[in-house]
Amino acid sequence: MKTKKNFMTKEFYLFCFLVVIMLLLAVLAPGFYTLNNIMSILNSFSYILISAIGMNLIILTGNIDVSTGALISVVALACAAIGKMGVPFAGLLVAAMILGALLSTLNGLFITGLKIPAIVATLATTQIFQGVLPLTVEGSIYDLPASFTWLAFKAKIFGVVPASVLICLIVTVFFLLFTKYSRFVKKLYAIGNNRNGARLAGINVDRTVVLSYTIAGALFGITALIVATAGQRVTTTMGTGMEMTFIAAVVLGGTSSSGGSGKLIGTVIGAFILAIVAPAINFLGISPNWADAVKGAIILISVVVSASRNRKRKRVVPAGQKLQTGGGVS
Amino acid sequence: MTKKRWKFSFNAALFLIWLILFGFIAIKAPNFLKPNYLISVMLRNIIEIGMVALPMTLIIITGGIDLSVGNIMVLSCMLGGMAATAAGDVAAVLVTLLVGVLCGILNGLLIAKVKITPMVTTLATMYLYLGLARGITRGDSIYAYPFAAFMGNTVVLGLPIQIWLYILLAVIFVYVLSKTTLGRKIYSIGLNPNAARYAGIKTDRILIGIYALAGLICALAAFIWLGRFTSIKYDAGTNFNLKVITVVVLGGTSINGGIGDMKGTILGTLIIATLNSGLTVLNIPIDVQTIVQGAVLMIALISYAVLNERAKKKKILKVEDAKNAG
Repeated sequence: MKTKKNFMTKEFYLFCFLVVIMLLLAVLAPGFYTLNNIMSILNSFSYILISAIGMNLIILTGNIDVSTGALISVVALACAAIGKMGVPFAGLLVAAMILGALLSTLNGLFITGLKIPAIVATLATTQIFQGVLPLTVEGSIYDLPASFTWLAFKAKIFGVVPASVLICLIVTVFFLLFTKYSRFVKKLYAIGNNRNGARLAGINVDRTVVLSYTIAGALFGITALIVATAGQRVTTTMGTGMEMTFIAAVVLGGTSSSGGSGKLIGTVIGAFILAIVAPAINFLGISPNWADAVKGAIILISVVVSASRNRKRKRVVPAGQKLQTGGGVS
Repeated sequence: MTKKRWKFSFNAALFLIWLILFGFIAIKAPNFLKPNYLISVMLRNIIEIGMVALPMTLIIITGGIDLSVGNIMVLSCMLGGMAATAAGDVAAVLVTLLVGVLCGILNGLLIAKVKITPMVTTLATMYLYLGLARGITRGDSIYAYPFAAFMGNTVVLGLPIQIWLYILLAVIFVYVLSKTTLGRKIYSIGLNPNAARYAGIKTDRILIGIYALAGLICALAAFIWLGRFTSIKYDAGTNFNLKVITVVVLGGTSINGGIGDMKGTILGTLIIATLNSGLTVLNIPIDVQTIVQGAVLMIALISYAVLNERAKKKKILKVEDAKNAG
């Protein structure tokens, strides 16, 4: 159990790091703070953050979801299929959230019902999602109507800010309040810290875990819709590999991958750092080929720093940390 | 007594599944049974996954996981290929192996010494290795050099050379895990790392060792891989990690650590190999194959869960039982 004060400093350091990067960018990359660039960063920031919030809820309980990328592809295609019929944005949003929530609940049920560790269960569902996709669609859905791409092209606040930012803002504020005041999120922390303890304290562990997947799924659905509506063609591999970005944002934000600790605000900063890496590298004149290496190095350095800070505080360190399990052996 | 029975029933069950699959495909598509097809398609295509699955079994038994294997392969492949164009084959071999081991050691150090969870560590290094491979090659492909081509395409005594290499490695790994004290120590780390340490086992050293070993095997697999495909791009290792983990989990190794069997991993490799090539022979599209693989993994997981449930209560008292129930 860590004290509240330490959480504050962890996020504070991360925030300082972000500010330093942004100041450096202002000096070294003159073209970085143009309106267009900022808006495009904000757009990718919003969809990363929305899903990262969901992923954060899942990781808080000590579970994980590696099927998110495939899930997003499925939802994106389904949205495209519905969108082709000219359904307006509101309808698409509801459909995307429901479908995402349903698929993700499936993951949660596999994990809790069959007591399969989360990483393996979602590994299996990844394959199933990925396999189902190309069967229903040949390659891609294209020639989508303007009602479908409305979010990316027409819906701008004051004519400049993409509407995805507004969605992201609503989601973030809601969840910031939600994590602070709801009993549900307290349960998530309790389960992540001590599963058996939580059960003995009268928490319905399985139901809570499934619910965390359901909520996360709805958020993944929103991301899928933002990603899908960015162009007039939706392909079957739209979300592939995205899950790693989300997990990285959560981990970078200081949430322990073994569950039970970590704050949402950290995830927000983590998502922002990951969103600016690629454009920053571009504007610094470095080849975009180095973007992944920089991302990896940032995550690695941040976890090493936070681990060494933890070690200073604790005199006794467990001899080894086990891979966190989901429905597991508790 | 129970110990014997569990052990028998488990690997036997996997073997039975394999036989049924094999028989079913052979009846449906007689072409499948041609030795040429079996060897040069079914076995040859799975070798890299099978090889990396061996050290991955050790890692998962210690309660860890390595998501970076595919990208260690790519990175060592890339640097080796560049060394080949600059300084010839000998340099290429040395560089490839060295890069593989160094990547593995970095993983091991972070996990054992800095105490970052294996999943987070290898997630970060996965990005790092992928990014390095991409950055160093500037996104270009690397082409096979004579030694890699030799490893990928030579036939010795009727079998491709990589199958011989796999058999050799498999024998060594089965022996080490089931017959040596090192094997017992690896299980004990997975069951209870603190207890293992207090019992005088140098857990840190063993952990670093097996992650380095995984790196080394990845480098070996990299030669074969490059030889087989003649050119490799930086993104070739994507999803390789998941395929390897699928094989290991299918073989009955518990992702929670402490439970698992090398023979199971080998059987798991065979099952996936048969599925992949068999479904291709049956003209089933590749997407259905993915679903089938996912479904097989799911079924295996459910059956393990059921068996684990039974063995769970005895797990601490009778470590042996739980281990073999897998």
